Amino acid sequence: MKTNIKLSAICIFAIFYLFVTSCSNEDEGDTVKPAINLIEPGDGNILKIGSDIHFEMELSDDRMLKSYKVNIHSNFDGHTHSRSVEQTIDFYFNKSWDVSGKNISIHHHEIFIPENATPGNYHMMVYCTDIAGNESYVARNVVLSHEGEEYDH
Amino acid sequence: MRAKIILAMLLFVSGLSVYAQVLDSTMVVELEDVTVTGFSFKTASKHNSALSIDVIEKEFLKEHFRGNLMQTLEHAPGVRSMDIGSGFSKPMIRGMGFNRVSVTENGIKQEGQQWGGDHGLEIDAFNIERVIIRKGPSSLLYGSDAMGGVIEISQTPPPYKNQIFGDLTLMCKSVNEYMGGSINLGIKKDAWYSKLRYSEQHFGDYRIPTDTIVYLTQRIPINNRRLKNTAGLERNVNIYTEYREGRYYSNYAISNAYQKVGFFPGAHGIPDISRVQNDGNNHNIELPYSNVNHFKLTSRQQYTWDELVGSWDVGYQNNHREEWSLFHTHYGTQSPPENNPNKELEFNLNTFSSSMKLRTIKFSSWEYRGGWDVQYQQNRIDGYSFLLPTYNRFTTGLFSFINKRLSNHLLLSGGLRYDYGYIDITEYKDSYLKEYLQTSGYENDMIEEYEWRSYAVKRNFGDFSGSLGIVWSFKDMHLLKTNIGHSFRLPGANELAANGVHHGTFRHEHGNPALNSERGWQLDASYEYDHKNIRISVNPFVNWFSNYIYLKPSGEWSVLPHAGQIYSYTEHKAFFAGTELSFGVDLFLGLDYSFVGEYVYTYNLDERTPLSFSPPASMRNTLKWKNNQRQLYVELHGIAPQKRVSKNEDPTKGVNIINLGGNITLPIGKSMTYIGLSLQNLLNTKYYNHLSFYRKIEIPEPGRNFQLLIKIPFKSKL
Repeated sequence: MKTNIKLSAICIFAIFYLFVTSCSNEDEGDTVKPAINLIEPGDGNILKIGSDIHFEMELSDDRMLKSYKVNIHSNFDGHTHSRSVEQTIDFYFNKSWDVSGKNISIHHHEIFIPENATPGNYHMMVYCTDIAGNESYVARNVVLSHEGEEYDH
Repeated sequence: MRAKIILAMLLFVSGLSVYAQVLDSTMVVELEDVTVTGFSFKTASKHNSALSIDVIEKEFLKEHFRGNLMQTLEHAPGVRSMDIGSGFSKPMIRGMGFNRVSVTENGIKQEGQQWGGDHGLEIDAFNIERVIIRKGPSSLLYGSDAMGGVIEISQTPPPYKNQIFGDLTLMCKSVNEYMGGSINLGIKKDAWYSKLRYSEQHFGDYRIPTDTIVYLTQRIPINNRRLKNTAGLERNVNIYTEYREGRYYSNYAISNAYQKVGFFPGAHGIPDISRVQNDGNNHNIELPYSNVNHFKLTSRQQYTWDELVGSWDVGYQNNHREEWSLFHTHYGTQSPPENNPNKELEFNLNTFSSSMKLRTIKFSSWEYRGGWDVQYQQNRIDGYSFLLPTYNRFTTGLFSFINKRLSNHLLLSGGLRYDYGYIDITEYKDSYLKEYLQTSGYENDMIEEYEWRSYAVKRNFGDFSGSLGIVWSFKDMHLLKTNIGHSFRLPGANELAANGVHHGTFRHEHGNPALNSERGWQLDASYEYDHKNIRISVNPFVNWFSNYIYLKPSGEWSVLPHAGQIYSYTEHKAFFAGTELSFGVDLFLGLDYSFVGEYVYTYNLDERTPLSFSPPASMRNTLKWKNNQRQLYVELHGIAPQKRVSKNEDPTKGVNIINLGGNITLPIGKSMTYIGLSLQNLLNTKYYNHLSFYRKIEIPEPGRNFQLLIKIPFKSKL
């Protein structure tokens, strides 16, 4: 059964060759996503119209953080919401901040909800990238209301 | 872990071949009377191509039938199915999918929205009689897009005697309360051979072995362990006629494939618990869903002269795809359209194809083949959202191919092809987006950059492809092949001009009008051994691409709502390597053991990361018992973990799945009725498929499934 021995040799050779190619060039590229720990606001939180948002989170990455972005947009039911009667404007917020470092804490009150903002359900999205382009994001459902809770800062 | 798997595969193969040697010597006498083999279609195909080929015939198709072609072909080495829920899949060969694999039926390339992650293959699985899987660079014969391989669907030859024939096939599955049926009627009368097939499949929401899924840090309940709104239906009609008179042959095929399938609402948009509440109905298809219709008309004319065979294939296809989703917008000024307010996207793709071929049959040692392919494509769009622009595309290619038989054992083959392509993309300006950006306070130059969702792009492409290979066969039991090929692919309209948030991937995909055509060098080898009771096949390959086109995260934030950073189509150097391994042995008492394993390594040389959708190593160990018309099998399907991921792709854990099945062919009345019963995922294991569209929203694969297939053939002499 010489042929079988030869065959085994071929199999071994083929696999060995693969083994070598796969191990020789280790992946140096970064595929690890940054981590977002969004502390405030929490999911379902009511945010008071006419005040700023207490925004607090921790960001971390294995190599280097690059930027984060906060986006708040309305999540009204597109069919029942009428735009004509109310003298309010749907609140929209979109801003990014550049950051650097591996572990950082963020705490600010830069997001302000104006008096004329339409109350209702909104989505809050927080995105974060590292310098290699790895991206994470967190989504929160928030409610904008005139009877919002006041936070202790 | 990767090393462990390779080692395991290695031990398996070398261990078993030693074991087989022992059996070999004891089994010779008993097996002597089974070694009657003709030069079958399968053998002929394998011996005539320097590429590695698998021929899938009726028995295999019946045994592995799942109501979905790709899930059947996945049992062949090197082929994977990229799934969208339980019903729809698209092919992947050796780690290449989407536009890098071609599917042809009756000689005409199937055109759909191949590039989209949530689009399946629009072909009636009940209507498949024979499939040839060509692995490796095939753009020489099949043109652009066939660089990863080809799934070639063809008809089996008509029966010899005049007759009326047909079959009735019924199938049920428990995992999604699937009911499918297909009826086929045919007639062979002298020069005419005609077939008519109608198939219909209905299925409900599929079961997954979990109560909750975690998506974007939110826990989403799965009511009754059924994935809401994944129900669907499929309805297909196929008509085929061929005429053969002396030296003249022609065939005509008309088919229409219709699919309507719901999408899990949690997969569209921000997770929202209200949308995944139980609606008390597991069979309704609510928004969001997709509606796809694929109409196809093909014909072949062929004439055989004394020294030449000439054929001409023509085809027309209409691929009409609609995505329906409750009207939603982030632009205050956009209101729902008056007609079809919930139609989010519509693509209407018309394709005209022509393929002429000439082949010499004069010389016994030489075979020349030449061909001329032309294709023209028009894409029109509609819907309240935007992803892909309107475009027209023209491609044409000339090729010449030579097979030279050096001896009875040695075949040399090689060829050259030149393709020319032209694409004309229409611009698209989004006034809602402009107003939205204005009210959001963006600068004018920023607005100007974004309001054009697509620029007018007119591009010409020209490219050579070629291949050179050798086939060596020895004593009818050894078959050794090696082939080197240069292949190319024209960039698709999405890669050149897409600009929008893909509702399924949530990515702002941005085309690059300056892309070159994708080029690669592909080297592969194949060794097959088939003698007495042992079958072995090893197929290693290495590919190198000078400019592999993929979606690269740009690091720049998109201003579009629901989008994070912009993903731009970018060209990078890429490397692929891998192997398929299969081994089979007829044991004793009708027992047969087989092993099918595969491994693919991908690497982006510029980013120094793996490529996305790299198939994890997998192996199937099957023990089968066969006795006359009865068969039983048990299969252990091991999928290795995939830790080699690209940026923004999650690693996937490995798993072992046990599948069982059996079938029997019974004479009932005049008919030989086939009854097959199978059980997939015996232990109801919760696992993820790295290649599934639902993987990124953490939806596990379907749970335990019972499947019953009954096939009643009938025929009557004329």
